Formats: sequence, structure tokens, C-alpha cells
Amino acid sequence: MANIENFATPSSAMGALKRPVVTKGWREWVFTVDHKKLGIMYMATAMFFFLVGGLEAVLIRLQLALPDGKILNADLYNQMFTMHATTMVFLFVMPMTAGFANYFIPLQIGARDVAFPRINAFSFWALLFGGLFINLSWFLGGAADGGWFMYAPNSGPIFSPSHGVDFWALGLQITGIASLAGAINLIVTILNMRAPGMKLMRMPIFTWMSLVVQFLLAFAVPVITVALFLLSFQRNYGATFFDVASGADPLLWQHLFWIFGHPEVYILILPSFGIISEVLPVFSRKPLFGYPFVVFSGAAIGFVGWGVWAHHMFASGLGPVSVAVFSISTMAIAVPTGVKIVNWTLTLWGGKLWFTTAMKFAIGLIVLFTIGGLSGVTHSVAPSDTQQTDTYYIVAHFHYVLFGGAVLGLFSGFYYWWPKMFGKMLNEKLGSWNFWFMVIGLNMTFGPMHILGLQGQPRRMYQWTENRAGEGFFNLAFWNLVASIGSLILVIGVFFFLVNVFITARSGKVSPLDPWGARSLEWMTSNPPKEHNFDSIPTVRHLDEFFHRKYAEDANGQMQQIATAEEVLKQLEDNADAHIHMPSPSYWPIVLAFGLPITALGVIYSVPLAIFGGVIILFSAFGWALEPSTAPDTDFDPPSSGDTSKDVVHVG
Amino acid sequence: MLTRVIGRLKPLILGTAGTVFLASCATNAPQDTFQPKGPNAQKIDSLQKPVFAVAGIIGLIVASAVVYSIIKFRDKGQPIPKQSHGNPALEITLTIIPALILAVVGVFTFRTVFDLNKTSDTQMIINVTGQQWWWEYDYPTNNEYGITQPIITSGQLVIPVGTKVLLRETSRDVIHSYWIPALNGKRDAVPGRITLNRIEADEPGIYAGQCTEFCGLSHANMRMEAVALSKEDFAKWVANELKPYVAPAKDSLAKEGETVFLNQCTRCHQVNGLTREDGTPVIAAPDENVWSGAAPNLSHLMSRNTFAGAMFDLLTPECRSDVWKSESATFGEKYLAGVSEPCLNQTDLRGWLRNAPEKKPMYANPALLADTGGKYRGMPNLGLSESDIEKLVAYLLTLK
Repeated sequence: MANIENFATPSSAMGALKRPVVTKGWREWVFTVDHKKLGIMYMATAMFFFLVGGLEAVLIRLQLALPDGKILNADLYNQMFTMHATTMVFLFVMPMTAGFANYFIPLQIGARDVAFPRINAFSFWALLFGGLFINLSWFLGGAADGGWFMYAPNSGPIFSPSHGVDFWALGLQITGIASLAGAINLIVTILNMRAPGMKLMRMPIFTWMSLVVQFLLAFAVPVITVALFLLSFQRNYGATFFDVASGADPLLWQHLFWIFGHPEVYILILPSFGIISEVLPVFSRKPLFGYPFVVFSGAAIGFVGWGVWAHHMFASGLGPVSVAVFSISTMAIAVPTGVKIVNWTLTLWGGKLWFTTAMKFAIGLIVLFTIGGLSGVTHSVAPSDTQQTDTYYIVAHFHYVLFGGAVLGLFSGFYYWWPKMFGKMLNEKLGSWNFWFMVIGLNMTFGPMHILGLQGQPRRMYQWTENRAGEGFFNLAFWNLVASIGSLILVIGVFFFLVNVFITARSGKVSPLDPWGARSLEWMTSNPPKEHNFDSIPTVRHLDEFFHRKYAEDANGQMQQIATAEEVLKQLEDNADAHIHMPSPSYWPIVLAFGLPITALGVIYSVPLAIFGGVIILFSAFGWALEPSTAPDTDFDPPSSGDTSKDVVHVG
Repeated sequence: MLTRVIGRLKPLILGTAGTVFLASCATNAPQDTFQPKGPNAQKIDSLQKPVFAVAGIIGLIVASAVVYSIIKFRDKGQPIPKQSHGNPALEITLTIIPALILAVVGVFTFRTVFDLNKTSDTQMIINVTGQQWWWEYDYPTNNEYGITQPIITSGQLVIPVGTKVLLRETSRDVIHSYWIPALNGKRDAVPGRITLNRIEADEPGIYAGQCTEFCGLSHANMRMEAVALSKEDFAKWVANELKPYVAPAKDSLAKEGETVFLNQCTRCHQVNGLTREDGTPVIAAPDENVWSGAAPNLSHLMSRNTFAGAMFDLLTPECRSDVWKSESATFGEKYLAGVSEPCLNQTDLRGWLRNAPEKKPMYANPALLADTGGKYRGMPNLGLSESDIEKLVAYLLTLK
């Protein structure tokens, strides 16, 4: 980016409505519309919130380590578990997957950026401001305390008198706007901007899974948006949507929440499924087993995922017909999920396995997610679920799914793609420590919760009592303590990752062009990629295009290397496109996004402030629409920042 | 290297995992979901055990396949494998097998769901109402069981054994969930709705439970206990509940306690049959003072073993364990003895009377509440003097 400074602004620009002229230092990040920079910003933000949510988790486990815990009082504990879930779901896993999607989808499909770069920047800033806004409540009278599911009427103004739930509801609206805009952006990008020859069934599997996720977001987020509006109107303007005395039915909230909430589970897990479906083939040295089955099972999960929401409500008295139907549909979704596990295992089978840290995390996901999936099947059986729901058994289940599944997948992605993003290799030795501490820690933390739950310890209790802990050495007191110690081991695992990042940034090994012998397009460019990703857009002839440019079968049917990665890249550079058009930076995404939390603060505290926020939004929307499409005048083609000096034009 | 060592040990680890799991459970955990004590919980148990077994076996197969691959196919310098893209026949087989297993599970699930929802053979109805953070039990008249007048109680649900009891649940404020694991799964108590929950106990005893829908500040303290009595003992319990009020003897400490109670407690708490000095009956008005509109009816308080939403025991730990651990033949007798002075848990009861919100997190201070019109959520700190507490305890002990 260094060489797009000091651009002349087109004379046609009106006053304030110009494109950023100086794009160095902090401005390089704040006004950027580059999908790679935004991807990194998403990931950094998500990592920050991961640490926040992790701190909340540790406080929860410390409180529950011993009976009648005194570290947190009931009020603070309720805020803590509400915000732990909210943070991990909405501010860690979702933005982290958005970060991966942002960075790698354009690279994987052979595009130079996303379809709507400014909207992309706006999505990021809305996510960041929304996340900070929700957490602002900690300092303004207390955070939300109704659980992340925020069941009515407990979420109403009588039962939750602080402003925590207001911040929560409005903050999630803001992050919801970010998700929706991002989803549309990525759908359009994937459908319209693939390189020549990249048919849908040649797309890398991470892009495929992300595409399914974006559709899930596009349809699920509006549902929670409606629910949150009802909640905000109830709390801030005296509406009675969930007020039983006025004839409302509080189950309305549950249906709305879970119609969003269940697809949300797949929104969280499918990107990680995509990541390990990239990692396993690379480190097994063979293609993903049953690519079309993995694609279609992902799509099937995306569809069936809409028909299972009421399994969160088996105890709510829906009646036997609904319960039976949702029980069966929930079992049905286990089938495509099982297909994925089978395919990953068969990808390993007959391979030439290389146990890098990325591979370890990926294999860890297969085993641990399977445990979470199978415990999920045990409570798809509705009568069993009435014993298991709202106990620690469920906590164990979804942490195996979300930590053992989603989070291990994300860490696999960090180690796999770090050289691509930063040009340096994360340390494999520290990576191994990172992996083993995390895996042992998470099994120690969440494994005992199976026992706790099946032996009757409910969730969301700020204290547990010895009266209900049973007898014997292995009583519930023992397992609560083990879980708490496990959480500290997990923390050490995360610490190793942070140390690894720090050390790698300072003195990490510079990555070769193709450190892993990768298979897909994102590796067919420099590390990190140039601003315009590819000097020439490759024409795709295979699934795993990059691999097939490097290897071919010889006469005996043995795979033989026919070209090095450097040679493949050289070929692209030699045929570089002239006049590459890249989007210009813009002031308006961050300003528009900043108007959202201001408006939301106004909704809580004062109408004039809300109007002021609205003015910011309106003004920046005009700024957005009226700013010129290019930063420099169009005659000026600055050179790219890559090794080859090719012309790059910035257009809106 | 580390991977390889652990990889080789993994079958051993996994093989023992199942055994360890079974051996690593607490004994006599009061809310164990694998110890059914009645037909409804039994039906669930018969369904869940095979499902757990099947899930466990499938888990072991997957884990073994992964471990085998890790060991067998690790990079030993073999050539790059053939780039095979899959095997549709194998894929389809491995899709159909789990689908068939699930179909079988589905059939049994279907049957059990409808079976558990049957209510046509109900023998006794009890209305169960949840509110922050206690349960009220209301027994409509039922001549077959000698309930000639409605009984209202709280803290412990008392039922006769071998009787199909239908709980009609609702809530006065937020959603709660009723759960006695030994008797049946959970059923939410939803304001504005009535949900049905069938329970039946096979033998006399006391069965622990816990509110399992997050219901605010003291969710963790909203417990319940179901007490199953033989039919004869149940009849005795009913007779005691229907016994008229006996005022404490004149000039006794308890009589002074009655006066304190009249002044301080009857705004919310009903004691059936209690009258003022002029003989007018005392009707509590919790609806004017408490947001949920209800406070526990304290008639025959000392026939129960718990108070404050079953958060605290009325019995000292020794006396409590005597009741909980008694054989089913002698259980009824011990339970019906109620709470005598030597067995009274003075510490918690006095602490509660001294400052209730300190013992149990509640929004007892109306200043903390928005828009409740000064109504309490939970019991406030009454600011009683130590001598008032002394008198009140003496009085409460007479509410047998």
C-alpha cells in the first residue's frame, strides 16, 4: 500500500466527499477496503473478544470450582455467563470465520477483491463498534443478565432492570447489520467473481462451506433482527409483545430465537468444517475424499438446519406431535454431519500424513467433534432430552461441538494460513504445545461436564451445593474441580498461541512460497499476496488447480512433480494483466458504521442523541454515494507493491 | 514424536475410557438421571441407555479409524498417493447405515414421546405454580384421597406412591422448569400457559429436583423435593394439612410470636385459620406487596422439611440425613414427624428472619426496581429485633 500515497484527488470531487488522499500509517487500515486487510482486522478483533470471552469463562469456572463459590455474586455471575456466550458466539467465532472468509474467498476463487469493497469495510467496522457497544454495558450499570438466549419475560424491564439487555439487543442489531451486509457481499462475490473455469464444483471446499454459511446468515439474521426489535420496543418504548398480562405468549420469543439460533450453530461450525476440509487433503497428500458428498452434505445441513429449531424447546410443553417431529428431523441432520466425518476419515486413509500443527488441530476436530455430534444424537431423542436439557450435559455437548469443532478448526486455519497472510511460519514446536495444552485442557474442562450433567447438575447456577453432589470420591464436587483446573490448562494452551504469534512476528522463519505443498488457488501467489492478489487471473481446469499444475501422473500412474510452486507463479507473473483495477480507499464505511452505536446509545438514553446518530448515518450515506469512484484521477496508474511492476488503478 | 507416542497409546486410552466413565460417577447423586424411581423416568431410561450404548460404539469406531490412519498412513517416505476422489458406493453405504440406525432410534423415540404424554389415566391432579424463586403446590379436592378441602403448600411436593399424578404447571412471572429426575424429565412452567407433567413414584422416599429454566437472580436456589408416602401415610399427611389452626397458649413466647407474625408477616404470608384478637380472619395480601402476587402459605410449616424455595432445610443436617437415608418402610413415619424443636435448623431460619435477601439473592429492595410500584421481588429485610426473631421462631414451631 505504501505506494498509493499522495494521489491527486479528481477535480470533480465535491468538498468533503473525496477519497482518502493519504493512505499511510493508521490511515492505511482505517480507510482500507482491501479484503485482506479487513480479513486481518476481523481476525484481530475476534481474537481480542476471544480473550475477553475466555476471561469470562475462567471467572465462571473459578466460581464453580468449589461449592458455594464466592468469587462472583449471583448478579455478576448471571452477567458473566450471558456475556461469555454472547461474546464467544457473536464476537469471536462469527467474526473470526468472517475474517477467514474475507481473506481467503477472493484468493480461493481467483478474484482480486470482494464484490462490494466499501460494504466489506463497513461490515467490519459495524462488527467492531457493535461488539464494543455491547461490552460498554459493563461500565454503565451492568451487562445483560438473561442468558444469551434471553428468554422472555425474564428479559423484560421488570426482571432485568439494568440497561444490560438494552445494550445487548441493540449491539446485536449492529453486529447483525454487519453480518447481513457481509453475507450478501460474499454471496455475490462467490457467484460472480470466480476465475475463468472455476465451476461451482471446482471451488475449494472452504469457499463452498462459507457460501452455505452466507446463505444461512442472509436468512437467519433477519429473524433475530425481528426478535431483537420486539425486545427493544418492549424494553425501551413499553410495547407488550411478551407481556403475559396483555395476552402475549412468551413462547413467541423462543420460536423466533431458535429459528435463528439453530441455523446459527451451523453458521459457527461450517467454516471450520471447510477449513479442515482444506487442511486434511493438503497434509494427507491426496484430494478430499468424496468432494461432492462433502459439498452436498454441507448444503443439506444448511437446509435441514431450518427444520430442527424446536429441539431446543422439548421441555416447554409443545405437545407430542411437535416434539416427535422435531425429534426425527434432528436425527435426520445427524446423517449429513456423519457423512462429513466419514469423508474426513477416508481422506486420511491411504494418505501420506504429515503431522503439522494445522493437521493436528484438524484431526483433533474429527475426533472431538464426533463426540459432540454423538452426544447431540443422544438428546435428539426427545424423552432423553427432557432429562438432559439445561444440565451440564448440554454444556459439555455444545462445547465439544464449538470448541472441539469450531475453535480447533479455526486454530488449524491459523497455522495453515499464517504463512499466506504474514509471510512467516508460526513456530511448529510452540504450535505443538499450543495444541496439546488446548486439547487436554478442553477435554478436562468439558469432558467431566458430561458426568456432571447426567448426574443432575443444572446449568446457569451461580453456586452448586454439596447437598446435591452425591457421595464417593468421584462425586460432583470432584468433577467440578477437575473442570475448573482444565480451564486453566486451556488458558495455558491459548497463551502458547499468543506467545507463538509474538515470537513469529519478531523473529519467525520466513515462509517459502508453498510451505505445505498446498492444492488450491490462494497459494498460487506471493506470501503475503500482493494487493491485487494475482498478476494474472488463472484459468482453472481442475479441482485442486494448484496441485495439478505442480503434479501429474506418469506412465505408471505414479504422481510426479512437473513444476515447482515458483515455476507456477513465474508463469502467472510472465502473463501479468495490464491495467489492474483495484478499489480505492474510502472515509465513509467507518463513519457510517460509527453512526450506528451513537443511534443505539440514543435509543437507550436520549432521543436527541439518536437523531444525531441518524444524521451521521444519513450524511455518510450521502458521502458514500457521492464520492468519486477513483482516488487518483484515472490517468494515473500507480505501480503495484509486488515484485513485478504492473499498473494498478483504484476504482470504487 | 509426541503425536506418535500418544497415537499408539490411544486405543488403550479409549478402551479404558468407557469403563472409567462408569466407574467415575458419584454414588447416590440425588439428581442422577440414570436412577429412575417411577414408571415415567423408567421409560426414558429404557430409551436412553441403548442410545448411549450405540453412540458410544460409533464414537469408538470413528476414533479407532482415525487412530489407525494416523499410525498406518503417517509419512514413512511412501510415494505421493494416487489422487483418488472417492468411492460413491462406499459413501452411499456409509450414509445409509447411520440413517437406518437413526430410523430405529426414531421409531422407539416416537413411541415413548406419545406414551409419556398420556394423561387419560390420571388419579390425582396437583397444580404447580412457579414464581421467583419457589414453587407453590395446590391440591384440588380429591375425595378418593381424602382431600376434602384444597391444600396449598410449598417447598416439598407430597404424593402417594403408585399413584398417577398429573402436575398442571404454570408460572406467575418468568418461565421456570419443574424437574425431579427420578420421577420424570423436565417440563417448563410458562406464564399464561398450563403445561402437563405426569409423575409417579414406585416407593416411599424423598426425591430431589431443581428449577432448570434460567429464571433470574436466584435460579440456582430454586430447588424442589418430592416426597412419596405410602397411601396410608399420605392420608395422615392430608389429615394433618386439613387440621384446623391451633393458637399458641396464652402468655407463651409463641403467643408473642403470633403477634409479631400478625404485624410483620401476614401482609404476604397466609396461615389458614389465623385470626386477629377480635376474631376476624387474617387474609394475606401478597398481590399488593409482591410482584409475582404470591408468597408461600405457611400453614403447617413445620410439617415440611425445607423453606425459602427449598433452598434451606428446616431440619438440622443430622435430622435431615436421618429422614433422607431411612428405609422406605420407616420413611413415612420419620417424615410425618415433621420438625421438632431439637431438630430445627435454627441457624438458617434465624438468619433468614434477620435478613432474607442476604441469605438468598433477591430484588427485595424496591428502590432497585423499575416500575413495580414498590412491590418486592422476594422477601425483604424486615429489620426484626433479636427478641422478635426469638418469638417468631417459637411461634413458627407451633405451625405443625
